[in-house]
Amino acid sequence: MPPKLLTHLILALVAVSGAAAARRHPAPANFTASGNPVYIWPLPKNFTSGTQTLAVDPDLALDPQGAGGGAAAVAEAFERYRHLIFSPWAHAARPASAGYDVARLTVVVASADETLELGVDESYTIYIAAAGGANSIVGGATIEANTIYGAIRGLETFSQLCVFNYDTKNVEVRYAPWYIQDEPRFAFRGLMLDTSRHYLPVDVIKQVIDSMSFSKLNVLHWHIIDEQSFPLEIPSYPNLWKGSYSKSERYTVEDARYIVSYAKKRGIHVMAEIDVPGHAESWGNGYPKLWPSLSYMRKIFPFGLFHLGGDEVYTGCWNLTPHVKQWLDERNMTTKDAYKYFVLKAQEIAIDLNWIPVNWEETFNSFGGSLNPRTVVHNWLGPGVCPKVVAKGLRCIMSNQGVWYLDHLDVPWEQVYTAEPLAGIDDTAQQKLVLGGEVCMWGETADTSDVQQTIWPRAAAAAERMWSQLEAISAQDLETTVLARLHYFRCLLNHRGIAAAPVTNFYARRPPIGPGSCFVQ
Amino acid sequence: MAPALMRLVLALAVVSCCAAGQPGGRVDLWPMPASVTRGARTLYVARDLRLSTAGTGYKDGKAILADAFRRMVAVIQLDHAINGSYHGLPVLAGVNVAVRSPDDELKFGVDESYKLTVPATGNPIYARIEAQTVFGALHALETFSQLCYFDFVLGVTGLHWAPWTIVDKPRFPYRGLLIDTARHYLPVPVIISVIDSMVYSKLNVLHWHIVDEQSFPLEIPSYPKLSNGAYSYSEKYTINDAIHIVQYAEKRGVNVLAEIDVPGHAGSWGVGYPSLWPSATCQQPLDVSNDFTFKVIDGILSDFSKVFKFKFVHLGGDEVDTSCWTTTPRIKSWLVQHGMNESDAYRYFVLKAQKIAISHGYEIINWEETFNNFGDKLDRKTVVHNWLGGGVAEKVVSAGLRCIVSNQDKWYLDHLDATWEGFYMNEPLTNIYNPEQQKLILGGEVCMWGEHIDASDIQQTIWPRAAAAAERLWTPVEKLAKDTTAVTARLAHFRCLLNERGVAAAPLAGYGRTAPSEPGSCVRQ
Repeated sequence: MPPKLLTHLILALVAVSGAAAARRHPAPANFTASGNPVYIWPLPKNFTSGTQTLAVDPDLALDPQGAGGGAAAVAEAFERYRHLIFSPWAHAARPASAGYDVARLTVVVASADETLELGVDESYTIYIAAAGGANSIVGGATIEANTIYGAIRGLETFSQLCVFNYDTKNVEVRYAPWYIQDEPRFAFRGLMLDTSRHYLPVDVIKQVIDSMSFSKLNVLHWHIIDEQSFPLEIPSYPNLWKGSYSKSERYTVEDARYIVSYAKKRGIHVMAEIDVPGHAESWGNGYPKLWPSLSYMRKIFPFGLFHLGGDEVYTGCWNLTPHVKQWLDERNMTTKDAYKYFVLKAQEIAIDLNWIPVNWEETFNSFGGSLNPRTVVHNWLGPGVCPKVVAKGLRCIMSNQGVWYLDHLDVPWEQVYTAEPLAGIDDTAQQKLVLGGEVCMWGETADTSDVQQTIWPRAAAAAERMWSQLEAISAQDLETTVLARLHYFRCLLNHRGIAAAPVTNFYARRPPIGPGSCFVQ
Repeated sequence: MAPALMRLVLALAVVSCCAAGQPGGRVDLWPMPASVTRGARTLYVARDLRLSTAGTGYKDGKAILADAFRRMVAVIQLDHAINGSYHGLPVLAGVNVAVRSPDDELKFGVDESYKLTVPATGNPIYARIEAQTVFGALHALETFSQLCYFDFVLGVTGLHWAPWTIVDKPRFPYRGLLIDTARHYLPVPVIISVIDSMVYSKLNVLHWHIVDEQSFPLEIPSYPKLSNGAYSYSEKYTINDAIHIVQYAEKRGVNVLAEIDVPGHAGSWGVGYPSLWPSATCQQPLDVSNDFTFKVIDGILSDFSKVFKFKFVHLGGDEVDTSCWTTTPRIKSWLVQHGMNESDAYRYFVLKAQKIAISHGYEIINWEETFNNFGDKLDRKTVVHNWLGGGVAEKVVSAGLRCIVSNQDKWYLDHLDATWEGFYMNEPLTNIYNPEQQKLILGGEVCMWGEHIDASDIQQTIWPRAAAAAERLWTPVEKLAKDTTAVTARLAHFRCLLNERGVAAAPLAGYGRTAPSEPGSCVRQ
């Protein structure tokens, strides 16, 4: 059966059964037919469920279909998820007495195009049913997507539907048949890592990328460099590397490429940031130096967006540094003019390199009218900035520090969860200019020992805000349904070896307050 | 400058400042081996470093050595692309491992010694490991991995100061770490990562405090309702999980010591079998008057004996508050009937549990209260596990019993104000001078009690302080630093190594598991 036909058939069935279910159970949309919260994080766009329990074969086989189904990335992702689903219990599994209901997973990918760019189609549908079941014509499990990245999101959802039964020792899908149709609300769902304040080893960045994929975040904003250290190799300027904390706290170009490719396999973009202007010197003769550096980085970071920083620029040094002062005087520029000059110059370079420039909001606040129209403004100072940005026709990413700075330990999960990127933006055309949002893990007090614990579970709260439909998440009760679901997801992260902290501590990354179950802490 | 010459200059620059320090300077190995000599030549580790077992009778039937070698190569390379040119560089082509004993069973006291040599020249150059057992060879591989570093400039793995001759063996046969899965459930992958990290500092016993009053997470086939006392349906270990953990650890030279803490820390047992409680409102200690109590203990230990192959089992016996026995009329009258007061009953319980364990082939470890209260009645093979404070071990060994040191003021990891310096300086043989008595000290153990520990903070609370104790337990006493400032930089380096290997080891500075106070290099925090 051609994939599209399958979808249509299922949609028709779902419409019928959904209507029937609605008559019987006027339950809210985020509950299973049995009235249990749906333990999938983030909440999918549309779904219906049933009351069957299906046993999943530990030797679950991949059945790749469609032009893109045969991609190596799909097979690799399938193996990863098979491992996540079964490996904690594989040694305990025993044959289901009546055989398995789900012995293979069909993954249909319509497009063979593996390009990962902003706005890539991440939608997918999942259908899981018992063969010969009352409502089903097709047994087994099917994920259908337009791109491999949609299929990867679908695999994550599928993995969250699989739970271990300690009595039968089988992995099961409960509340089947399931039909899920899902896609993200925002194209840009970011997490920022800061490797300048503390170096994060490659292995740790990989762990962060893994955990991002579990909550369907899709942009790793890599704040590589800051005043504290310069850990990345730039072959054209090997001296820059000397700014690393130590000989071993560095990333080679190959390390960076590896991180980009590791992320890509999980449908995650890596947005690099070079925060210019950094130092007075790079202002004075920054342009000639910046160009080769950025053109080299262009080869490493294929993502269409590049972050040029531009925040918290303290211009006092320029007037105090004779050669900079002279440079300014010759051009009859104030330091303010110079700030603008360099941000715009850097933007030009980025655009010449076919990058869309992203700049922190100070650039917009200071000279928004002069920014390149392609600029994406990255909000951070406070609320209410994106409405101004989109009103001027520029695009915006929301990271309001009061709610989405993870280094602010006094922001409890509820505040992270309820922060709305579209707040104050009613015009539909303007809403489209908000690409999404990003939670920021600034590294002053975050290193390998505590970074994951500070990121999770709060980043997951933002992830649902950015992925799931506004109406659906607003319909949930925060302190019951959402909390129970977030507890569940945090325990899932722990089960996957991610050091996610307790949910309900007021301060982030605090230890559990006393003995107790993961599901209530 | 010609590229090759440039490379030479860079290589020299690296030598002058890198990992292993100045000539005659720091040897960045943790724990410090018994004997180390080294030269001045830098070698480069071949991209496809080979394992050779030529001339050894050891068959490696369980692939203990081959798998360990593969893991070792992975932690040397991490995820760095080894893409530099080896042209003109002295290359270390492989490691030759000679294991003398064919026996690959991880018995207590197994010979863990090894000799590791890395010659400076040869064609090809091969490092050589000689060990009595494969478990000694595993330690040698860990030591070897710590000699290597990634050369960021050349894009290859380097090894400084060849030729090396390292002769090494542990000072104590028991070097433990306790984890507590009763106060918080620790998912299997978390336990696995703890075992991985123990190997890096040559700890060799994972003491698994499985059960306590708060939860009973392990499935016991003989009494399946015991795990009704788990926190939740999914915060459980199947018996196969336990087998997996034991086998995973053994393959890395780590024994798993299972504990059931009776009769005091056992309230969760009664969730599935309420008759184990004195009463529904007074739930521990376990009912001493009920034969069923000892049947359940027998069932548990019978199941244990099929899973936990270590010679010892830990029966707890600490912090027994007997008031539930005297306030429950049924038990009170049982005591009167048997002419026992409550401390007699405590002794009766512990000794009876010991006999059951012995019948299943175990030797017993008990917490020190059992010794403090009725030491002369304990089975003579009992190992007393110190925790309350210092000065206990000397009493235990002068009574002729064996001892494991875990005095809480220094070696309890949940004491966040216990500093790494205190961990380092805590000497198990304090005040024990008689060599025969010294031998009765099996070693020591750092304890990661779980009241405030879950999957989010366990590694950060364990490391780097557990590593400080690991050197105390491994390294010959004469090579241990008298002043911890002499090892700060080396321990900081080891902590960074743990970080590179993905272990969330906390900064040295400050209390246990403190976040770094400000931006800075790993090696300085």
